[in-house]
Amino acid sequence: MDRKKLLEEGFLEKYLLDELTDKERQSVAEALASDPGLRRSYDALEADFERMAFENAITPPAQIKERLFDTLENTAKQGPSRGWLWAAASLAALFLLSSFWMYRQWKASESNFEALQEQTTVLQDRLNALEENYLLTNQRLKTINGPQTIPLILHGNNLVPNARAVAYVNHDNKMVVVNAQGLPELPEDKTYQMWSDVEGEMINMGLLKTDEELITLHYIDQAESLNITIEPAGGNDHPTVEKLIAYVTL
Amino acid sequence: MPHNNEDIIAIERIKQKDKKALQLLYDKYAPALYGVILRMCGNKEMAEDLLQETFVKIWQKIEAYDPNKGKFYTWAYRIAKNLTLNTIRKKEILIQNEDLSVYREKENAEPQLDVAALNGAVGKLEPHHQEAISLVYFKGYTHREANEQMGVPLGTFKSYVRQALQLLRESYDKEFILIGILINLF
Repeated sequence: MDRKKLLEEGFLEKYLLDELTDKERQSVAEALASDPGLRRSYDALEADFERMAFENAITPPAQIKERLFDTLENTAKQGPSRGWLWAAASLAALFLLSSFWMYRQWKASESNFEALQEQTTVLQDRLNALEENYLLTNQRLKTINGPQTIPLILHGNNLVPNARAVAYVNHDNKMVVVNAQGLPELPEDKTYQMWSDVEGEMINMGLLKTDEELITLHYIDQAESLNITIEPAGGNDHPTVEKLIAYVTL
Repeated sequence: MPHNNEDIIAIERIKQKDKKALQLLYDKYAPALYGVILRMCGNKEMAEDLLQETFVKIWQKIEAYDPNKGKFYTWAYRIAKNLTLNTIRKKEILIQNEDLSVYREKENAEPQLDVAALNGAVGKLEPHHQEAISLVYFKGYTHREANEQMGVPLGTFKSYVRQALQLLRESYDKEFILIGILINLF
């Protein structure tokens, strides 16, 4: 900004009256620092304004001065930064307390969350198990309850007089499911095994566990009868005919 | 009133937290500042509080004053002006939120203080020159606000201010010459 513009546009007055933007103020200050003539004009302006203010001075009531110096005295006694220190210390303490409280809350929330997560996992597992169980039961129900399913009862012979097993046979979807819970328990080295009789040949269908409700066995085409024998634990390749305990004709 | 050594020394002492030095500056400048503050806010009680606040601020901020950039009085004037304008603005906001009838009653209860009239050289200027100076210096208006207040274009208003300042200058120069002659005579 050149001197002419500064003077004509009234920038010196506005600078004195604190009306300029930061940028304008900066550029006027720079102009004043580098232009002694301009600086003289500004000094004169300041002097005129000050003189005018003195000509229009009004004496303030005497108690203002007393009040002012009392105020300064009191703040000085407290120390210039003591009040601030106290405020800062209080704030810091408050912050510390609230941080601690929030930390506790956070920790509590975290452990609650973990417990919930654990519960959720347990529930999820149970739900999965139930679902699996339900699907299995449903499937079994369909298997044994379908119109195409033939329930067959195998009664124990004189070797095991009161024994009873139920076989459900579905020729359409080639399934055999057996409930062997009615058979007496065997020593650990023995097992029940089921066989299909196909044209005089006994074909292995699988082992029967007495502790399971329904056991799915191999379906054998053209079976004429179902037979149960007692075999060594783990099952046998060929049936021990002397130990045949029950059979039913298809 | 030239930049004088008394002020510079007092300011240096204030920087060393010497309250007696502040008293010297108070005695010298408080009436001029009070004249400005009172004209600006028009309320005696408020002006007294603002004068006190101005000197508290001078005491606290004295490190920020640089004598090379201008006179102490100009610096103090700006502090007083900014404090006063801020307080007036806050009060205006409060009044805006209050019931208007309450405001009117208050206005009636507190008659305007008769401090508007200007003394000294400025008081002898033409009314439009006086008003221009009064608005920007004693009322704290910006040039833009002031020209609207006077109802003249900004350019015209600026030339009023410049003419008024020129006339003040001439008036003070004449007095200076007169004093010079008197000193030489006696």
